Amino acid sequence: MGTVETKEEVTFKLNGIDVTVPKGTTVMAAAKREKVAIPHFCWHPGLSVAGVCRFCMVKVKGRPKLEISCNLEATPGMEVDTVSDEVKDSHKWALEFHLANHPLDCPICDQAGECGLQKYYMSVGKYNSQMTEEKVLKPKALDVGDKLVLDTERCILCSRCVRFENEVTKTGGLGIFDRGDRAIIGTYGDEKITHNYQENLVDICPVGAFTSKEFRFKQRVWFLKEKSSICPGCSTGCAVSIHAKPEMETYFRVKPRYDKKVNGHWMCDKGREILSGLDKKERLENSYLQDQDEFSTCERPDMINHLNSLLSRFRGKKISLLVSAQYTNEEYERLFSFFVEKMGVRSIFQWRSKEEKLNDFDGILLRGDRNPNTRGLLDALRKFHILKEVENEFEACLTSSSDLIFAFSPLLSSSFSSFEEDLARLSKLKSCVCLFTTSYQARDYIGFNSLIPLVSFPEKTGHYTNYKGEKRELEGAYPSFIHEGFDVCELVNELDSNIKASLRA
Amino acid sequence: MGVIKVPLPPQDTNVFQAAWGYITTILKGLFVTKMILVKQLFKLEKTETIEWPEEPADYGPRFKGKHFLTKRDDGNVRCTACFLCATACPADCIYIEAGEHKSKTIEKYPVRFEIDILRCVFCGFCEEACPVDAIRLGPEYIMLPADGTKWVYTKEYLVARTNLNGGIQSIKDEEEKHPEVTSLTHESKHHRSLVKHGKH
Repeated sequence: MGTVETKEEVTFKLNGIDVTVPKGTTVMAAAKREKVAIPHFCWHPGLSVAGVCRFCMVKVKGRPKLEISCNLEATPGMEVDTVSDEVKDSHKWALEFHLANHPLDCPICDQAGECGLQKYYMSVGKYNSQMTEEKVLKPKALDVGDKLVLDTERCILCSRCVRFENEVTKTGGLGIFDRGDRAIIGTYGDEKITHNYQENLVDICPVGAFTSKEFRFKQRVWFLKEKSSICPGCSTGCAVSIHAKPEMETYFRVKPRYDKKVNGHWMCDKGREILSGLDKKERLENSYLQDQDEFSTCERPDMINHLNSLLSRFRGKKISLLVSAQYTNEEYERLFSFFVEKMGVRSIFQWRSKEEKLNDFDGILLRGDRNPNTRGLLDALRKFHILKEVENEFEACLTSSSDLIFAFSPLLSSSFSSFEEDLARLSKLKSCVCLFTTSYQARDYIGFNSLIPLVSFPEKTGHYTNYKGEKRELEGAYPSFIHEGFDVCELVNELDSNIKASLRA
Repeated sequence: MGVIKVPLPPQDTNVFQAAWGYITTILKGLFVTKMILVKQLFKLEKTETIEWPEEPADYGPRFKGKHFLTKRDDGNVRCTACFLCATACPADCIYIEAGEHKSKTIEKYPVRFEIDILRCVFCGFCEEACPVDAIRLGPEYIMLPADGTKWVYTKEYLVARTNLNGGIQSIKDEEEKHPEVTSLTHESKHHRSLVKHGKH
């Protein structure tokens, strides 16, 4: 690993400036911390040091040859130089040799735009190649996993993927075969990579050797916008960035961000499926209202008026909240401060999947609790003096004989195996049910009093509290392409102000 | 270069003298025009006017008109859906949807390739950006489509419309084709690329 946690510190000179780092830190890690760019391919902060790409050469004063900085421990008094002509020349030639057998695939390669070779060619490249040898051709577009396509020709043999398989997932599914210029990365025999962390290989591959089947050829990366968010796939709550093209109203991919305390550098493939229900055609786009045997769309103000009239009609009767654990802390707080404090609602039920195994854990990241904010929900309830444990109270809600139920459905129906079944049962209730949802499936069930479309997690800001109690922010919000969609906080604010006005009147 | 000598603006305040200067100059100019008219009336000189559309206009081979997509030697579209034309396009008029080709030697090809010709400004950047000579701006300058509705040119129209006589072959095809390599053994040394190193 890049850094070792010790209290001892060493001070050395990096390009003439004193740098103090914990003992055991490599020059590469120290340079990264100091934002000094040393070109590298094989070094990855989340993996062991391999030192195979020979690209990160630096000059140490007093030593005859250049050394690789990724495997060079900083020692007191060391004077490291990363910018002299000698060092730059070595970078240039190292890249030249990496490009010796690399095909000119950039036009059809998904990595183009975020490729290490392209990036370094522009910054340290040798623009006039002196190679006269012909390129070695290798197998292309190999199917090596459920989600992976391998192009051995583009590979520069940095061995990041091999180390990932050995160290992180401990499956050891990849190896380097053959020797010299015919060495290729591959799986053993006809075996396929099947674990739940495959797409990390695509992320760590500095070139386009591994490409994701899911994202393959969908879009060029330079068209995508990137916003920081939190994965709502399970209670680990990995830090992710969501890549989208807002003008096309499409979300394209999810990539992990580094968060030391939560997910490190990785995320699971289940977490990358969170975008599956976010297409416009799978979302509830309009408010729906049950109006004298007719289920029809209505405008936003009409829906707010309707909810207001419902609240005043059922004043004094039994109102219940059925809430899933997929909303943000802010939304829970606003919701409960209105319903519990203003409206005096005491019956709040948790809506969870019937088949969830709470204590499941795959040993790396994925947890059995497929809701991002279970902890946040309980914390918010505790704040309003409602003490609860994690449990599925859907049945209890059905039998509670409430007159009016506000049901806040899960935003990720994909992680909710019994979602449709629950919807069917909820719609058959005799009580008046208002369903707040993002999913278009709700339209198929007749019997709801009203359907309120919500914006989903990439379109809102807020916080999730993960299973450990780490509070993380959903920073970036894309403009929602569900124009009629409600933000829970805004909706409750409007209801609140209307109630106040009606009380005054 | 012909120079017409124009009298200097009158220095004194004699209005008639000043007007005389102007009138003579205008008459000289009109004389030149009328002489050309007379010459052309009696067919002593050729007129430059083209009676389009009765008479076809010839714009020369380098004219950047209506786009077309070139073909591979096997007749498929040459485009590899690299999106470089769409990236370079200042009018944002190219829409591409890429797909996986069943042949591993091609890999990527455009499922849809559409040009919104009403947005196009005929700058020719798409042609410049294309790495495989797949899109060119041809000599056709009549943009009226056959049925008057198709202002978005589809891939099929761009590859093989009647004016193209069955399509035009790309100059970059066979020389850069990648043979399919299934396994890499010591016998397969002949899988050496024909591509010579130049500039990367």
